[in-house]
Amino acid sequence: MQGASRHPEGERGVSMSYALVVAEVRRGFFEERNLDTIGLARLLGKEVKLLAPAGVACGSDDLSDAVIRAQVQETDFLSPLNMVRIIQKVIDTAGRPEAVLFTGSSSGIELASYAAGALNLPLITDVSGYDPEKGVFLKSYYSDKIFGEFKPREGTFAATVRSGSFKEQAVSKGAPAAETVLDAVETDPGRSFVEYVEEEKGAIDITKADFLLSVGRGIGSKDEIPAYEELADLLKAVLSASRPVIDKAWLPKPRQVGTSGKTVKPKVYFAMGISGAFQHIAGMKDSECIIAINKDPEAPIFQYAHYGFVGDANKLRDKMKDVLKG
Amino acid sequence: MNLLVFTKRVPATQEEELRIVDDGRRVDLSKVPFKVNDWDNYAVEAAVSIVEKAGGDVTAISLGDAESDDVLRRAIAMGAKDGFLVESSDAINDPMARACLLYNFLKKEAVPFDAIFTGVQSEDDQFASVGGILAAKLGLPFASMVIGIEAFEAGRAVIRRELEGGLQERVKLALPCVLGIQSGINEPRYVSIMGIKKASKVERKVFKAGTYREGVPGMIDLVRWVYPAKKGGAVMLQGEADGVCKELLGILKEKGVYQ
Repeated sequence: MQGASRHPEGERGVSMSYALVVAEVRRGFFEERNLDTIGLARLLGKEVKLLAPAGVACGSDDLSDAVIRAQVQETDFLSPLNMVRIIQKVIDTAGRPEAVLFTGSSSGIELASYAAGALNLPLITDVSGYDPEKGVFLKSYYSDKIFGEFKPREGTFAATVRSGSFKEQAVSKGAPAAETVLDAVETDPGRSFVEYVEEEKGAIDITKADFLLSVGRGIGSKDEIPAYEELADLLKAVLSASRPVIDKAWLPKPRQVGTSGKTVKPKVYFAMGISGAFQHIAGMKDSECIIAINKDPEAPIFQYAHYGFVGDANKLRDKMKDVLKG
Repeated sequence: MNLLVFTKRVPATQEEELRIVDDGRRVDLSKVPFKVNDWDNYAVEAAVSIVEKAGGDVTAISLGDAESDDVLRRAIAMGAKDGFLVESSDAINDPMARACLLYNFLKKEAVPFDAIFTGVQSEDDQFASVGGILAAKLGLPFASMVIGIEAFEAGRAVIRRELEGGLQERVKLALPCVLGIQSGINEPRYVSIMGIKKASKVERKVFKAGTYREGVPGMIDLVRWVYPAKKGGAVMLQGEADGVCKELLGILKEKGVYQ
């Protein structure tokens, strides 16, 4: 079986026969990226046990082989301090898993690093590939320009999984998962959830636009923004941006495309000076047509674009304005 | 309030062509310029702006080679009181090893602190894990993706964490704690060359990383480096900008978004 023979025995001879998948449930919603963690768990060839808070639906009931319910609310479940106690309780009850898998998200990465530190687990984050033959996990370096093949050493390991990487592997075994309820754990008062806060709404909704002109770090400075606004007007496009532009407050947050901003699917996504960090790609890859202008011929965005041009975005912008006014 | 902030010197690979050498065992960074990790810049600003209001000191700490003194001077120029370099000539890839080494350093040197600030991740390895592992080893509360600090006083902090799709959550933490600071939380102050020169006069203490290696586990191994799998890839337009612009306008017309 794929990758199954790597650590057949855990400590004290307890069989490490399962992969523990920590479900991400947010405001009662079972996030789609859970399919990627379940998919990787399937690839590991182990029994898949899904760890979830009580009282929430976790997709179809045959996605995993077993569901372990922690008797806590969703927001307590997502506190790293509590998660350590919950996973420890799972280990005490069901033995050591081969792997503890977390989603590649704000909470997933937070939970994984804290749990790995507390439980002393080898940790690989942002896993986007797995080779069962070699038992190696693919992890991005340098904004996807290079990937490392990593292997965890002996014992249970932890990983976070990049969204979209393994969802096709999340196939069910047909039978509904058996549910068990975990003994209650005391929540840790060191960190507590207060409330959710929604981002302020902008005057323009970039998700409704058919044509987005999107700018990134490569445009160089805030002083370049007015000229892009002018180009957007000439093209009748709506101006959007990648994270670095928003971070530097060159454009307001509602204009941000990417996982922490908006997910967009316009007819045309025209990216200027955007190199294509994974979080950005995730927010625009389903656009009908992607055009990318970037100085760096190795920029990851060219892998996702339909049309590309290697050159300085600002120079092309000025030329384009001339042609349009021409 | 004593705040520690970790800062890392990283290769600026945005516009560089990276080559894998030595049969996949090494990425050649010899021609790549280095800079401060973007996230750490926000973390330094966050820490400095807290002590400016509440009083206290910020100490910048860097684990890296001798050149990492650059990022310490930068942090001092931004308002840190001093800097500690935990000097290691070899790069440590495993975030568990980095975190354990830093844990040993803090314990052995009995460095006092009320909170530790890190960047959410470093640009080069994107592990986003050292802060979380260290917090767990120290047995302290932890929050990452911190996009707002609303209260920071004796005993407690109220922060906002960035989630997905524009959603945030407000969270309360007991101090001391470890915070992973997200980019965009503030506007890091400008640092002039004069400022960095002046910072050179402030003492930076150097500690040898080897002293803190005891019990530091390597838990994952790099097998080899590989290039990303090529997908379909774009149709690349060639030629002079004039012709390219006309071609692009043709595509926009064809897609029906421009008349």
